[in-house]
Amino acid sequence: MKKYFYFLIGLLSSVVLLNSCMEELPTHFEYQGYEFTDLDPNAGQWRLVMHQSPEQFTIPAPAASGSAELNRELTEAKENISKISSKQKEAVDYWTNNPLLRWNEIALELATKYNLIPAPNPDGTYPAPDAANPGKYPLFPYAHPPYTSRMLAYLSVAQYDGLIMAWHYKYKFKRQAPYELDPQIKSAYDANKLYSYPSDGAVIAISSREILTAMFPLEKEFLAQMAQEHLESLILAGINVSSDVEAGKLIGAEVAKTALARASTDGMRNAQTNKAKSDSIKNAAKVRFGWTWENQETPQRPVGLTPLFGLVRMWNVPNVEAVRPGPPPAPGSEAFKKDAEELKRFAANLTTEQRRIANFWNDGLNTYTPPGHWNRFAKEKTVKYRLSPVRTARVFAFMNMAIVDAGISCWDAKYYYHYPRPIQTIPGFKTILGTPNFPAYTSGHSTFSSAAAEVLSHFFPTDAPQFRKWAEEAAMSRVYGGIHYRFDAEVGLQQGKAVGAYSVAKAKLDGID
Amino acid sequence: MNFKFRILGMLYACLGISTISIAQTPTDGLMMPKGEICIAVVYENSSWGRYWEGTYSRENANIGTFTRQMLMPMVVGGITDKINFIVSLPYVKTAATGGQLAGVEGIQDLGLSLKAQIVDKAVGKGKLMGFTNASFSTPASNYLSDYMPFSLGFGANELGLRGIVQYELDKGPYLRASFAYLHRGTTEAERDFYYNDGAFYTSTMDVPDAIHGQVGVGSWFLNKKLRVEANLTTFRCAKGDDIRAYNMPQPTNKVDFDRVEGFAQYYFKGNGGLGLLAYYNHMFSGRNMGQFSGYGLGMTYQFKAY
Repeated sequence: MKKYFYFLIGLLSSVVLLNSCMEELPTHFEYQGYEFTDLDPNAGQWRLVMHQSPEQFTIPAPAASGSAELNRELTEAKENISKISSKQKEAVDYWTNNPLLRWNEIALELATKYNLIPAPNPDGTYPAPDAANPGKYPLFPYAHPPYTSRMLAYLSVAQYDGLIMAWHYKYKFKRQAPYELDPQIKSAYDANKLYSYPSDGAVIAISSREILTAMFPLEKEFLAQMAQEHLESLILAGINVSSDVEAGKLIGAEVAKTALARASTDGMRNAQTNKAKSDSIKNAAKVRFGWTWENQETPQRPVGLTPLFGLVRMWNVPNVEAVRPGPPPAPGSEAFKKDAEELKRFAANLTTEQRRIANFWNDGLNTYTPPGHWNRFAKEKTVKYRLSPVRTARVFAFMNMAIVDAGISCWDAKYYYHYPRPIQTIPGFKTILGTPNFPAYTSGHSTFSSAAAEVLSHFFPTDAPQFRKWAEEAAMSRVYGGIHYRFDAEVGLQQGKAVGAYSVAKAKLDGID
Repeated sequence: MNFKFRILGMLYACLGISTISIAQTPTDGLMMPKGEICIAVVYENSSWGRYWEGTYSRENANIGTFTRQMLMPMVVGGITDKINFIVSLPYVKTAATGGQLAGVEGIQDLGLSLKAQIVDKAVGKGKLMGFTNASFSTPASNYLSDYMPFSLGFGANELGLRGIVQYELDKGPYLRASFAYLHRGTTEAERDFYYNDGAFYTSTMDVPDAIHGQVGVGSWFLNKKLRVEANLTTFRCAKGDDIRAYNMPQPTNKVDFDRVEGFAQYYFKGNGGLGLLAYYNHMFSGRNMGQFSGYGLGMTYQFKAY
């Protein structure tokens, strides 16, 4: 009897031990404030994307060093730092001295949270999200890949223009950081001597809060709370005083306004059409090519995803026709049959590695989508190469402009050619990935990834082979998954590269990379 | 004790929760004597047309009717009269009638279990028995757990600790209750980012621990050749997220269910040899899982090995 008792005790303790060994799973990218490779002192002269002049928005001249006003702010900062709570200390560590990466991460998390496709009503019809009533099911937005790509572009461009302006004023006013002015104040991060007026962190906090609140209206309170915590951390970190923060907030609010004004007229509001418009687009393809894509879900979705996203205003490509690929092989043609046969072979004999690739790049519903995946790569490279905030914003802005342009171009091709998916053309075909609600040609994953890889290769040339390999893998993942033909993927890669080249050409005008 | 009775009970317990995970460890109130081996093969077929998204019951025409078939070989043996081992290795196949997602099939999890009898005494016109049982299961192939609902299992190691109490009248009727705590490890997805009430930047998914409780009432008939039992099972995960609106399930979900079952087993001869078993079960409430109904059919063969 006794030995059973010990047996039990032994088992119980092993269960407890197993539990205590479980490590915390990471909920965000693990990085800390770091020393910037270059402070980019001339960034104030870089070309703005949406604005004409770095002084387009005026901020007051800062109080001089030694002035009573600045001394009062320094005293206040010291007081706050001396009373810092452990939660505030955590916030200082979390936001770091390159907080754009955190706001980008928040954007990706919200993109994931809102990336759910509407369920059918009991009568077989489908409801649609309504921007005017975002809290009613299905919640607004449905953050699908086009939505997320566009959201990230506005976020990144606003951040970029805001930081160029901040850098301009920093080097104009040359106000030293609190930890330079007062020996009792220590920087929580690397003491890099970056001028502190206006606060670049505040530009990021406010521009990000404003863009993301417009894009995810139900998250208004959460975003306000994050911005508040971030702004507070700037002073507690010893890198800003309150007038730095106030000036940064002014710029952040203004650049966000410009970005949102552009967003309100970029054509996105018409991208999701009604059924009549959708049918006319389908019929045009039928007349032009003799085939059409049909949604295969039950009940059938009457309209594909954003048929007119291809008409949304592009950032760096002169017009969408400039990057439209040629037509795909007709269903039933020899070229088509060859790629359809390949899909059947993959479905029958998928290797473990091919399955892994298909799932690794799936980035479907309930994820940050392929645009999000590439933003994650950019974040990791930013830290690896220790970029300054303004250089970071530059990478993200050019990459996300290329990504949304790639999405627009891809969607143009999708609805222009209206090409059927493999589950439509191959009888009885089964897949390991869900087939999305839009035509096949060309592959969004391929186009998004190739455009992003093109831009990242420009900024991080050492890693260019890796980016291109990733893009090719992302493209092939859809073929392994059974939801794209090889020609969708291969043409999508070329298309994305062509789109990305426009963004790179624009970046090269600064002559600084 | 009748050894047929023992193996039957063990099998029955195993099958009881196979629709949720894997070959589980016995919950019954029986032991095999030293040197006895029982080999069993059970076929199970269960399906659902509705599933619980959180606690909301819904249909999805892109799944239609989901079916899960399992063929489970199993060996039970008496190490001593008071300690038994159980080994099982199910083969599972899943498919759906609607939509275009491919079903999967393959070897699921290897289950190993040790069971010890710690109480055995006469009480009134019957006897009271107590058992404890430790089980371990581990994926036996590289199946992908992050492919729900089609995945073969939850893809994590599981360590279970169980207590069982049974009171059996000499005339045949019995009453049994069991309770288990199931500690589950983590499973590896093939993507390195997922959402579980927030973003996770890892391919590791935490499969929540669970409790498993069961009460059964049954009796022997026909000179102990036939046994019939009815039981009620309840299963609760300790934590986990809900399936999001019209989205796929994932291994991190909080899975709960309650199920009723009828079970019968028949032996052709009095002592050893061939036996048959059959059962039917039905889930009547649940959370984040398909509302399974299913049946199982099995053959057992028992002999003195050493």
